[in-house]
Amino acid sequence: MTSTGAFADATQMGVTGETMIELISVDKFFGDFQALKDINVRVGLQEVVVVIGPSGSGKSTMIRCINRLEVHDRGRIIVNGIELSHDIKNIQEVRRETGMVFQQFNLFPHLTVIDNVTLGPRQVRKLPKKEAEELAMELLTKVQIPEQAYKYPGQLSGGQQQRVAIARSLAMNPKVMLFDEPTSALDPEMIKEVLDTMQELAESGMTMIVVTHEMGFAKEVADRVIFMADGEIVEVGTPEHFFERPTEARTKLFLSQIL
Amino acid sequence: MTTTTIPPSPKAPLHRPVSPSVWMKQNLFSTWYNSLLTVIFGVLIASVIVALIRYLVSIDTEIIRVNLKLYMTGRFPAEQLWRLWAGVFVTTAGVGLFARAIVRTAQMKATTAGLEFDRSTPWDIVRRFWPIGALVVFTLSFTQTITPSLLTLAAAAIGLAAYWLGGGLPAWIIRRSWLIPLVGTTAFYFVLVGYGGVGWDLWQGFFVNIVITIAGISLAFPLGIMLALGRRSSLPVVRYLSVTYIEILRGVPMITLLLFGAFALGFVIPGDVQFSLFLRLLVAITLFQSAYIAEVVRGGLQSVPRGQVEAGQSIGLSPWKTTRYIVLPQALRNMIPALVGQFISLYKDTTLVFIVGLLDLLRAAQVSTAQPEFFAQGLESVVLPFVALYFWAGSYVMSRESRRLERKLGVGVR
Repeated sequence: MTSTGAFADATQMGVTGETMIELISVDKFFGDFQALKDINVRVGLQEVVVVIGPSGSGKSTMIRCINRLEVHDRGRIIVNGIELSHDIKNIQEVRRETGMVFQQFNLFPHLTVIDNVTLGPRQVRKLPKKEAEELAMELLTKVQIPEQAYKYPGQLSGGQQQRVAIARSLAMNPKVMLFDEPTSALDPEMIKEVLDTMQELAESGMTMIVVTHEMGFAKEVADRVIFMADGEIVEVGTPEHFFERPTEARTKLFLSQIL
Repeated sequence: MTTTTIPPSPKAPLHRPVSPSVWMKQNLFSTWYNSLLTVIFGVLIASVIVALIRYLVSIDTEIIRVNLKLYMTGRFPAEQLWRLWAGVFVTTAGVGLFARAIVRTAQMKATTAGLEFDRSTPWDIVRRFWPIGALVVFTLSFTQTITPSLLTLAAAAIGLAAYWLGGGLPAWIIRRSWLIPLVGTTAFYFVLVGYGGVGWDLWQGFFVNIVITIAGISLAFPLGIMLALGRRSSLPVVRYLSVTYIEILRGVPMITLLLFGAFALGFVIPGDVQFSLFLRLLVAITLFQSAYIAEVVRGGLQSVPRGQVEAGQSIGLSPWKTTRYIVLPQALRNMIPALVGQFISLYKDTTLVFIVGLLDLLRAAQVSTAQPEFFAQGLESVVLPFVALYFWAGSYVMSRESRRLERKLGVGVR
């Protein structure tokens, strides 16, 4: 780490330790439009990386490539030592290692909260029902909504739904959590409860990549901030570097627009 | 501020009650042309009511009383009728047990969720199924001896007893409650056919309409789901086969298919395999309906947002499990009205089998009006409404049950 807090590129990790996620020269096209241009990122164990940037800059596409919700066209993606390929077994192995939280929560509306959380453990991890339910209650307690376990998602507030979604991902015991604008669909008064949950998760040592517009969260929780624009990584740095002395013109412009 | 609008007092009623004469003046005779319409339609409605009453008074139900057995069971051998009653007993017993299993499942769910379980009262059941009850009483009113009424009472008693006994069923059966209809159907078949019984080529009358409806739905529904999933399969072979099947069967009139099943299938199937007419028609109806059900289910599958699939994938579910646990349940829930509409149309379409000579309820009614003592007396005006009642009762109950199911499953709607 340099004294200014800037990183030469996104393959330099902020926390010393083993590599958890690696993206090497990743390109992604939607038809003729290139959504990702030569992306190189390395994320270390227990590191929290926040990705910011204007809409359409490829932030969501990048993290959706990591668990294969989108298929990258060129380059390599390696998660916890497993390289993504077209093999469905391989893809599912990577998905078991990574949890994902969506902007629109994507809870299963036909299942109760506890069934939402136990579905993965029972069907994928093959836990017995009782064990899965104990695990679910434990996680729901962790995100502070155990009393809602037998309600349906539609009966909860947005913030509560998003916390259920976090619990649902954690139930798979992932090594990495991906957050795709987790607070963008929430009413303002509910953003904090979700961010607090995420911060607790970060403090417990979870490796996280968070796409967000919450600059407060980036400042407080991130080990590194990546700024993306037009499908490229423009600048990487510690939060201090980023918000106090950004070097790139595009970063300065973006920050001046949102701060 | 000089003028302030005062909101109306919350206690003031929005609609003040008016006297009947004022209401009539306001709603029926407000202008000269409204008055004219009121008079015209008043006369029309009155004349229809008068005609209806005169018809109902003049009705002679002799033809129904004489032919009731023909209508219900066709030419089912009289000395074997006990088997049919035994089949009814098996059915009511199965329904009783299955109902109890469903109630107990709901009860267990409510208990684990720590919720109050609202048990439906007998009155609720009556309200839900009264058309069927009324139809049974109506049918029994045409019987010549008291035996059928006594046997019906016995069947009802067996159903209630089965419901009561269902309280003692072990939990592993309750968890696999689909076993009950499965065992029930097998027992039903055995009671009718086993040990020198009556094969399904002699199943006739309203009985055959019911059997084809139930068998048709239970076969066409899973087949339709498979076809709909096949149509979205990533394997081109499966996809094209499904599309071809669906589009060919939807492009053919059902009557053509029935005629094909009745007269041509024998030439298509190689070897000496002979299927009874009943079976061939059942196959034709199932194939035809499954294509329509497939399209309904496809609509349901498309109504499930993409994010649901992604959420399933992201917790590591395989494509099949994502479909099984996430997409399909939501798709089917969204499609309940359309699906039940399809089932109702299947129920009514079972009368089409009369075209190829199967003696179903409609055909039996027609046959009865050609009997020497009832010939050419315009008795179609008696038997056709009689036949219509049977289809109305079933369709109405299905349609109401579908709305009830929709409301119940709507709990988790976002």
